[in-house]
Amino acid sequence: MNEQNQTGFERENAEAVTIDPINPKIRQMEVIDTDFHFTPSWKTIRSYLEEPFQSLLFHYPVGSLEYNPEPANEKPGVGQDTHGVAATAADVLKILDQFGTDTVILNPGYNRPQSIFNEPMIAAIASAHNDYLIAEVFPVSPRIKASLMICHRDPFMGAEEIRRVGHHKQFVTVYTSFSSLYEPIGNAKFDPILDAMQEFGLTLTCHSEGFFPHFTPLWNGARTWIELFGNAPIGNCMAHLAAMIVQGMFDKYPKQKVIFQEGGYWWLPDFMLRMDDFYLGSGGDIALVERKLATKESKLHKLPSQYVLDHVRFSTQPITIPKNRKHFAWMLEMCHAKDLFCFSSDWPHQTLDPANWVVENTDCIDDDFQKALLSGNARKLYNRL
Amino acid sequence: MKEYVIGKVGDIPEGKGRAFQAGRATVAVFKSNGKFYAMANRCVHKGASMCDGDLTNGGTVVRCPWHNWAFDLTTGVHCYDDSEKIRTYEVKTEGDQVILTA
Repeated sequence: MNEQNQTGFERENAEAVTIDPINPKIRQMEVIDTDFHFTPSWKTIRSYLEEPFQSLLFHYPVGSLEYNPEPANEKPGVGQDTHGVAATAADVLKILDQFGTDTVILNPGYNRPQSIFNEPMIAAIASAHNDYLIAEVFPVSPRIKASLMICHRDPFMGAEEIRRVGHHKQFVTVYTSFSSLYEPIGNAKFDPILDAMQEFGLTLTCHSEGFFPHFTPLWNGARTWIELFGNAPIGNCMAHLAAMIVQGMFDKYPKQKVIFQEGGYWWLPDFMLRMDDFYLGSGGDIALVERKLATKESKLHKLPSQYVLDHVRFSTQPITIPKNRKHFAWMLEMCHAKDLFCFSSDWPHQTLDPANWVVENTDCIDDDFQKALLSGNARKLYNRL
Repeated sequence: MKEYVIGKVGDIPEGKGRAFQAGRATVAVFKSNGKFYAMANRCVHKGASMCDGDLTNGGTVVRCPWHNWAFDLTTGVHCYDDSEKIRTYEVKTEGDQVILTA
């Protein structure tokens, strides 16, 4: 009922409302989330470990040597899992519904195993993780897909795991991480992994990471979370991508697709121009890389920038949007975002991106572009989606 | 601008936020250390609902539930960059009633 108060303002009652922070348009579109971290409990993982690992790994064998971002977030008690922990298929489906996501690609929350000193231990944990997915997660819903976890530090162990479980259709990609390796995954020593992937048509995921003992050199002298996870992944991502291109990975594996995650992408215009320019003026030593020595070739099959367009995609989280609208439109165009970008949320981490931004920047991202970002580009990228 | 009666003092729990539809404005109202504060419910960063944010720094700051952006409860100004601001609204009590102007 309206009433008039003593100051002359008309006065009404207002009810408390429950707000769905997800834009309603998102719930009407197909959304594929290409990066969502799934973290089963250690008790669960341990129950799937082969012996003798199950008997001897009483606890998860990585502990205190990673930097907990609580001082950066000024938020105690949650570490990197700011938005929670998804440990079961039921947990995942609940979060998908909350965010309006139709299909998800689970990446391992237990990605720290790549930091363990003992590589057979890494491989055992990866196998247990995969077996849990196959036995208890995939059967629950076809909406749930996943990255196949391997010990990518040992190319032969990695290839063995791909051949063991790669036939399962809900694995749509193989998970690796840049900055957890001293050498880029584009180096020919990792070809056993690429060889195995060709047998199943699996996409390669390269996700940001980096903890003891595989600190990236870009962390030297750093003091803050901003340097460690805001900036260093960009340099690592560029280094891995450059190696894939100029060390001939895509020439040897012409059907291979790669998605980079959390290494940024607004640097692409410079990278593509610079790589082409260096190649045209200083490409002679490409003849000296392993793959080119094997084929007796002295050149790449195409310009470096063309490999990016033909083989490489980028997940979008964390999107950074400049206030200048022209700049945003130009950045999207210069990065070929309509073809190269695939939506990701990175749930449950601090820089989580719900999909709202895709449909709320209509001056720069029209309807077709929105569809490409939210699902179309992912469907083209992953053979098994 | 209109005044809206959004409930009684005890309806909004201490240390929490709640969203109200006041005409066309969706407003997050917080009760912190016994006082009421109000700001637009939409975070200027990526649109999260501020009513779901945590109150920190002795109840003087609200943090966006999605990305932890920190805003002064009284002014709506970001704690690290005063060019980022969420619109604030006047909220007061009259007897047992909480009155929002929006």
